[in-house]
Amino acid sequence: MPRPEERFVTFSIDGREVSAPAGVMLADGAKYGDIEIPVFCYEPKLGAPVGACRMCLVEVEGIPKLQTACSTPVKDGMVVHTQTQRVREAQNSVVEFLLVNHPLDCPVCDKGGECPLQDITFGWGRGISRMVEPKRHFRKPVELSPLIAIDRERCILCYRCVRFSQEVSEDYQLILNERGASSFVGTFDGHPYVAPFSGNIVELCPVGALTSRAYRFRARPWDIEGSGSVCTHCPAQCNVEFTVRDERVLRVLARDNHGVDDGWLCDKGRFAYQAIHSDERITEPLVRNPDSGELEPATWEYALDVAASAIEQAGSSVAAIAGGTTTNEEGFLLQRLVRAVGSADLDSRAGLPPVPAETQRALAAPALQATIPDIEFAHTVLLLGTDPIDDVASLDLRIRKGVRRNGVKLAVATSRPSALDANSRLWLRYAPGAEHAFVAALAAAVGGADGVEALCEKADADPKAVAALAQLLQDGGEDVVIVWGQRIGAAPLPSLLNLAAALRLGERAGAGLIEVPVGGNARGLREVGVQSNAGPGLKDAKAGKSAHEIAQQAADGKLTTLYLLHADPVRDYADRRLWERALQGAEAVVAHATLLSDALRATATVVFPAESYAEKEGTIVNLDGRVQRLRPAIGRPGSVRAEWQVLADVAKRAGHDPQVLTGPIVTQQVVAAVPFYGGLTLEEIGGKGVRWQERDAASAAPEAPAGPFEAGEPLAAPRPNGALRLGTYRSIWAAPEVEVSPALKFLTAKQQAEISPVDADRIGVDNGGRVTVSAGDVSVLASVFVRGNVPAGTVFLAEATAEQSATELLGGEPGLVEVRPA
Amino acid sequence: MADKLLFDRIDEPGLDTIEVYKRRGGYQQLERALRMTPEEVLQNLLDSGLRGRGGAGFAMGKKVSFLPRGGMDKYLVCNADESEPGTFKDRELMQKSPHMLIEGMVIAAYAAGANRSFIYIRGEYELQAMKLEAALIEAREAGYLGEDILGSGHSQTLYLHRGAGAYICGEETGLLDSLEGKRGNPRLKPPFPANQGLYQGPTLINNVETLATVPHIIRMSGTEYAKLGVENSAGTKLISISGNVQRPGNYEIELGMKARDIIYGLAGGPEPGREIKFWFPGGSSSPVLKPEDLDRGYDFDSMARAGSMLGSGAIIVVDDSNSVVDVALTLAKFYRHESCGKCTPCREGTNWTVKMLERIHAGDATPMDLDIIASVQDQIMGNCLCVLGDAMAMPLSSMVAKFRDEFEQYIEDKRAAAGLGEIPEPTPIEIAGAAA
Repeated sequence: MPRPEERFVTFSIDGREVSAPAGVMLADGAKYGDIEIPVFCYEPKLGAPVGACRMCLVEVEGIPKLQTACSTPVKDGMVVHTQTQRVREAQNSVVEFLLVNHPLDCPVCDKGGECPLQDITFGWGRGISRMVEPKRHFRKPVELSPLIAIDRERCILCYRCVRFSQEVSEDYQLILNERGASSFVGTFDGHPYVAPFSGNIVELCPVGALTSRAYRFRARPWDIEGSGSVCTHCPAQCNVEFTVRDERVLRVLARDNHGVDDGWLCDKGRFAYQAIHSDERITEPLVRNPDSGELEPATWEYALDVAASAIEQAGSSVAAIAGGTTTNEEGFLLQRLVRAVGSADLDSRAGLPPVPAETQRALAAPALQATIPDIEFAHTVLLLGTDPIDDVASLDLRIRKGVRRNGVKLAVATSRPSALDANSRLWLRYAPGAEHAFVAALAAAVGGADGVEALCEKADADPKAVAALAQLLQDGGEDVVIVWGQRIGAAPLPSLLNLAAALRLGERAGAGLIEVPVGGNARGLREVGVQSNAGPGLKDAKAGKSAHEIAQQAADGKLTTLYLLHADPVRDYADRRLWERALQGAEAVVAHATLLSDALRATATVVFPAESYAEKEGTIVNLDGRVQRLRPAIGRPGSVRAEWQVLADVAKRAGHDPQVLTGPIVTQQVVAAVPFYGGLTLEEIGGKGVRWQERDAASAAPEAPAGPFEAGEPLAAPRPNGALRLGTYRSIWAAPEVEVSPALKFLTAKQQAEISPVDADRIGVDNGGRVTVSAGDVSVLASVFVRGNVPAGTVFLAEATAEQSATELLGGEPGLVEVRPA
Repeated sequence: MADKLLFDRIDEPGLDTIEVYKRRGGYQQLERALRMTPEEVLQNLLDSGLRGRGGAGFAMGKKVSFLPRGGMDKYLVCNADESEPGTFKDRELMQKSPHMLIEGMVIAAYAAGANRSFIYIRGEYELQAMKLEAALIEAREAGYLGEDILGSGHSQTLYLHRGAGAYICGEETGLLDSLEGKRGNPRLKPPFPANQGLYQGPTLINNVETLATVPHIIRMSGTEYAKLGVENSAGTKLISISGNVQRPGNYEIELGMKARDIIYGLAGGPEPGREIKFWFPGGSSSPVLKPEDLDRGYDFDSMARAGSMLGSGAIIVVDDSNSVVDVALTLAKFYRHESCGKCTPCREGTNWTVKMLERIHAGDATPMDLDIIASVQDQIMGNCLCVLGDAMAMPLSSMVAKFRDEFEQYIEDKRAAAGLGEIPEPTPIEIAGAAA
């Protein structure tokens, strides 16, 4: 659906002439005239108004009954009164009714001081109570879930949480039980409300009925300060506001940015702040004692010297890897240092194969880029090789919104069943690892080329479904957005570019590609040059080794110093055993980390304490090129230093002084080095960020090669022959910050083998049973999850779980794995 | 008194079968209507002046004409969720003459251009649902439902859906939600069902009696039907009389008949020696009237002039053996129980009202509570999402206004019985900053 055009209408409210966009509801329209109409149930983010609380009754001339401002669209010439006796009485009445069963326990309520019910009672209530009868009572507070406590006596039954569950996150768990004055919010059978976005209902609740169990009784509103920043736990980069008390983050709230998150947070983003204050945080430099062989606390001077001399001595035999939470500034300094010593062995692609610079430049062409809000208004959205719920959580809600409210036609093409299959017009499966063949088949089908059947055969995709998808993309409307996962690898990208060209995605403003990378700031890191085949600004640079090559070199003992900036390749990257050998094989390992992994404990030479995202200053780049700003909310614990400074100090001591004195100077250097960021300042980025493609400097984007692109010959997916194909995914809950956050610990991802009922029968296992999944002599233990829509012949395992990670099995060529009862 | 229409020989054995119904001329009006154009049928409905018999009294022809023309899916829904206390006319009609309703529905759907129709019947009407289901099978077999009915090109499906026992599902939008399989909560209006009703499609919703009248309008022609009754209240009406009368039951009257003739004439009045204290003219949600209103005509306008309403045509008579407080409490409890809980004034207002009346009942109240009760009713009225809140507030408010003395006496007696004695002079409480 194309974006609605904005047109203004003029109406009168309390005697003022007000101009507001046509179609907005009076409750919002009134704000254009600085008039506040009180609301409880109304929240435009939740969809169509329901008019349940009746708080917003106003008088509209020409209509005998009072009207709810939340459901009355503004019209030209409308005359509205919000201050008449009649309206006042209605408002007083509703407040009185709402308080009939409300316990008025504000002094002990977490919401007190930031409570809409309190504010509206003061602003629009009568100020006295006539109710002397007993109020209704519930057992309270009870656990709605391990994360959320519910106090049903405080609840004013505004429906917001129920509507969120039913119409936004679509987990369909929360309902209103019973009816009338006995109504109460809960789940159908009392099971805990566990869902990836459940925490949003705490923020939606206009009273103290839903409270965060992690925040309960930790602070009152007058103890705290809010501090805006951005969450870096995943590439969605949702805007957040940290609630800070005494230099501690106590809570994370959404900071609504339509261009990024639409005002929602996932539970990881909302609760993983606890990792900031984990007892396991490294808060001082650690250096390995050559005598004892143990990592021991050291002074900064000593640690910096050890790191610098490791680099100096290595000469050009230095390699560096940056993880997703690295800022542009840190990444930039790192690549400067590595390139300064004559190496180009740099990577930030989470162990995934490098993409030729030419292809990258073609993909980065501003015209070919869709924005996140485009997803909401596109005719068709294709999800290719990514499941947002795991890879980029809040995008899941954006897609649901587009489908539910604007009739976006969703197509899902993945190897693993997606959480969004149920919302799609069409979903299809291909064999894991056969992305190249699949995308080539789709591009051929759209382009009317031959060989679609053969390519489908190679991808093990249904040719009819591919044809139907091609037709949907071509005939479903011009605005097509393809959201593709970096996880599909490098080989399919030429075909993807050809597909985009065939669909003319570069020619329309509302159409284009969006890449879902692996790692919070993966896009920014590439743009500032943390990669082996392109420098800052995606410019050509001396070629170096990619992560996998670095690992092989290190494992072979041919690499002297390995610099790991917020990267944990042993846990996160494919082929865990290779990386273990690599870390052992490198002469020196210098790392920046917040938590000490087993691998670092065993092999690191120097570990610098890393800042948490609430302490950092710098810039990062969102999926669609929005440069956003991280701002420190709290001071750094222990002796932790700003990491740009640590990197600069290491470089300086190694003889390559980058000449930076402050964080913003690094930002200036980044902007100077990346032509398409030209002239960007921190002020311009501001609180909401700015897409570089929308600035004049975008014209300095590297010239994109013209297509068509040589697609290459895809490999055929291996045929299951009793052994199964292995597909992997990374669960949103497989992360160290989840494991160390007490609130989230219960969600920690455990290894599960997702198999089809057919295979479960054949292997002789059932849900919850234990199996070993083995490739050659390596095996992983998992519990069985029989999933109806997993294609037969395939098993899916989670990557990066704390134990039994599928990355163990991801060495060498993709092949088949044996699944046997354990 | 005109001849009966709906209840004409209603007790004839076998009338619920298509055989007897047809022998008496059933389905001839359908054949006739299908020979007319939909516009001609609609014109007859408009001419007839038939007003909805479910309670709101909205002109039926007008409602049909509100449906957009065009080829989209349109729906006809028959509201058979007859739940208003005191109302039981549709029940007898559906039980004894189900085909009359079906015939009326096919004609109405033809006029409205609706091809899919539903009867939403309250869950408690088990026998009636069985009768209707049997009649539907007969009608389908006889070709009065289905594809290309009687060669007219008009196709129509008709399904019976049983509710699960909620008063609120008689509210048209609550009914639609329930029919769609959701929790039966009223929707915001607008959009009105005529534009966006069942499954978002244009929907005509009418009461059983309204739809069952349609064949009679076709038979007589709209203009002839309009001659029955009085101005603004055309036709005959089924009324249900209950309470303190000697012959409770359903009667068909011509609108405009004197209320006294109905209550005393048809229903025999209260038991000898008893006097009427008050009466509900249109179901339990209509404001009560006193005996002096008995000489008014029983029609839409006269009842409105008396400060009440014709509603569903259910007269409940209360004689002097009953306390007004008991009636008020029983009524309020009903509405509290049936409030869906979606909107604040109804959910909290009905609940609070019951609690106050219970306190009066328990002898723990003062006359000041009557002011609060009255004020709470005012706060409910007109401020709710649907009319359920009003349905309690209207009669309650009329009872307190008209029988204030009795309420006060009751409070005093109960206090005395509870040993609380004289009511102390109220001392105003100073509240800092409170604007009364």
